Amino acid sequence: MIRVVSLRKAVSAGLCGAAVMELFSVVSGWAGLPAVDLVRELSSIDFPQAPLIATLTALVVHLAIGACWAMFYAFFFWGRFRMRPPIQGLVFAAVPAILAILVVYPELTLMHKSADFVVLGVRDYFAPLSLSVIGSLIAAHVLYGLTMGAIYRRPVGYKVGDMPSPFVARRKDESKATRDQGSAAFMFATGIECSYPTIEGGRWRRDEMDSTHHYELWQHDLELARELGITHIRYGPPLHLIFEGPGKYHWDYCDPPMNEMRDHGPEPIVDLCHFGVPAWLGNFQNPNIGKALAEYADAFAERYPWVRFYTPVNEMYVCARMSALDGLWNEQLHDEGAYARAAWNLANASILMSDAILKRRQDVIFINSESSEFSQACCPDPDIQKIADEANDRRFLPLDLIFAHPLGKRMHELVRQQGISQEDIDRLAHRAVPRRSILGVDYYEWNERLIDRRGKALALGELFGWYVIADQYWRRYHRPMMHTETNKGTPMARRAGSGASGTTCSSLRKAASRWLASPGTASPTRSTGASQSASRSGSFIPWACSTSIERRARSAYPTSI
Amino acid sequence: MASFLAAHGFDPGPSQRPLASGAISGILATLPAIAVLFAFGSLKVEAHVLGWSRIVTLCAGWAAMAAAGAVYARIFGRAANDVRGGWLFGLAFGFALWAAGAVLLLPIVSGGRAPAGSAALGVALSMLVWGIAIGILLPFVHRPLHESLEKGSKRVELGPSAAAGKKQPIRQQRQEERK
Repeated sequence: MIRVVSLRKAVSAGLCGAAVMELFSVVSGWAGLPAVDLVRELSSIDFPQAPLIATLTALVVHLAIGACWAMFYAFFFWGRFRMRPPIQGLVFAAVPAILAILVVYPELTLMHKSADFVVLGVRDYFAPLSLSVIGSLIAAHVLYGLTMGAIYRRPVGYKVGDMPSPFVARRKDESKATRDQGSAAFMFATGIECSYPTIEGGRWRRDEMDSTHHYELWQHDLELARELGITHIRYGPPLHLIFEGPGKYHWDYCDPPMNEMRDHGPEPIVDLCHFGVPAWLGNFQNPNIGKALAEYADAFAERYPWVRFYTPVNEMYVCARMSALDGLWNEQLHDEGAYARAAWNLANASILMSDAILKRRQDVIFINSESSEFSQACCPDPDIQKIADEANDRRFLPLDLIFAHPLGKRMHELVRQQGISQEDIDRLAHRAVPRRSILGVDYYEWNERLIDRRGKALALGELFGWYVIADQYWRRYHRPMMHTETNKGTPMARRAGSGASGTTCSSLRKAASRWLASPGTASPTRSTGASQSASRSGSFIPWACSTSIERRARSAYPTSI
Repeated sequence: MASFLAAHGFDPGPSQRPLASGAISGILATLPAIAVLFAFGSLKVEAHVLGWSRIVTLCAGWAAMAAAGAVYARIFGRAANDVRGGWLFGLAFGFALWAAGAVLLLPIVSGGRAPAGSAALGVALSMLVWGIAIGILLPFVHRPLHESLEKGSKRVELGPSAAAGKKQPIRQQRQEERK
């Protein structure tokens, strides 16, 4: 349950909130209003001989309690509701307010008594709570909540244009491991979370490598991967920090971990564009991103000629949908046409990048990872069914473009409406797809969706399962496949007794638990992951891959990689 | 809340022993709490309120805090293992225990009698100290209690042959063999 929390910001927010509370109490007291001063209540409990020390101590305690509540807010409450931050803080402040009224203030009153114990009933317990006391406590906590909420905002990420510290080697290179260059028959892989979209109209960058402290802990993360026996690792250098402008690169944001992986492994599957672009490129509505990213890919392949595996653009469909349809990232639009435009630009970028890399290295292997999704209608209502059909249609657009598959009719019309010429569409449709292109399928708990009666998509969990969904992609593209991201086990497969296919859990320990808990199932011969490393480093968030679909694909599609 | 916790890796995992870790941490954390109780004279008052001797109150309290520690570790799951935030979760749990136990339950159990004055302050502080202590201790206590995967995987026979050609899970097969 470790969400990323900015402790420094939370403490500041809590201290300020508590200070405002106390200021309100003091000013109300001066104004002759009946206000509860919690600091005075605390300070007058004990130590009558040293009132100044008692007051200072009580003030420190009050501020510390404010900070603690703010940290609790940051861990458990912040971001749970779509409210403005001050309102979130205000809603949360109801919790300490209720506790202050029902527990803390009556107990403080008891602590002021000179006797060691008292006999009291419920009425006696709540007797100190007059209306003015309750009103004063509520008002103070309202101010606390608003202040704390207003200060604790944007705990992760940084302003677009800011540059976090580049990779620094914190310890000597003492690893004796060597990169396994020969084996490509079966990949045990994991990955470092590396998304970097922008939010708030392109003003704030959500850099996951920064959030997970990978820029500081990169050596530890790679060592953990090696310890697990991982042979390949999906790795996305921060494009937005490296690519400063046409012909300008800041390779400090890439060289250290790339050199480490070159020398000691794991073999990287380099992710060149992961949900974001540098600020100077704008967003995915920009038709020029393809040309710019091709230039970057060429420079990258030139600098690291030993890299053999690439994902030119990660999850093009997800990126386009989240940016242009769901309105969450980058351009933050809610438009089907904008989705088609973003998908086209991303697919075009992927193709141009692939071509640029192929010029540098002919035996490169592309792993085009994409989210494997499926939507179904809750009921036979034609409108609901239409929404599900459109979602199912939409999910294939970027892959259709890069794998030269004919576009669906609706998608074709949508792409044409964005001003893309038929010649350009035909050019892609007749393109020779690089022979060594693997289709990567990502499968998460939310990939299967149910369209409910209101037309909203709800995460269905694992209903058909990865096998069925991935099979739909296999039947459409007939490419060698790889399971490139997941956070799920395969309970259906296990219950069916087919334990031999292995799990693709994100946690080795979780995978082991399920096998241990269900005797008679096969050993986790194909599970990978690192929950222990996640808790140690705070930055190693594993993806796991298996190639059970690949084995089937190889047998049906004999092109060797 | 539960789904949020689960999505972020709430489950402590099979090789961890949250109940044992929590109970041991709860017992250890009671030491500084007892010191606070003594400093404020609260133990004497609590024993008087409950109508027990101090030794019995101490022992009962220690057992209760061991159970409370186990509950804490189970409720907070992997969050309880967090070095960075564990103290805060423990503090929150200690506060909740104070509110539910000393404030609410103790007067009910003792016929309306409740600590007051310095004793009440001592009781409150001791619960907060216990909470902070268990929050700090548990991330370190749980580590040596991990069962290694190598050892754990040997407890039940695993492997492809366990599933292939058998009609029953291996545990049932063994039970039948023993019969």
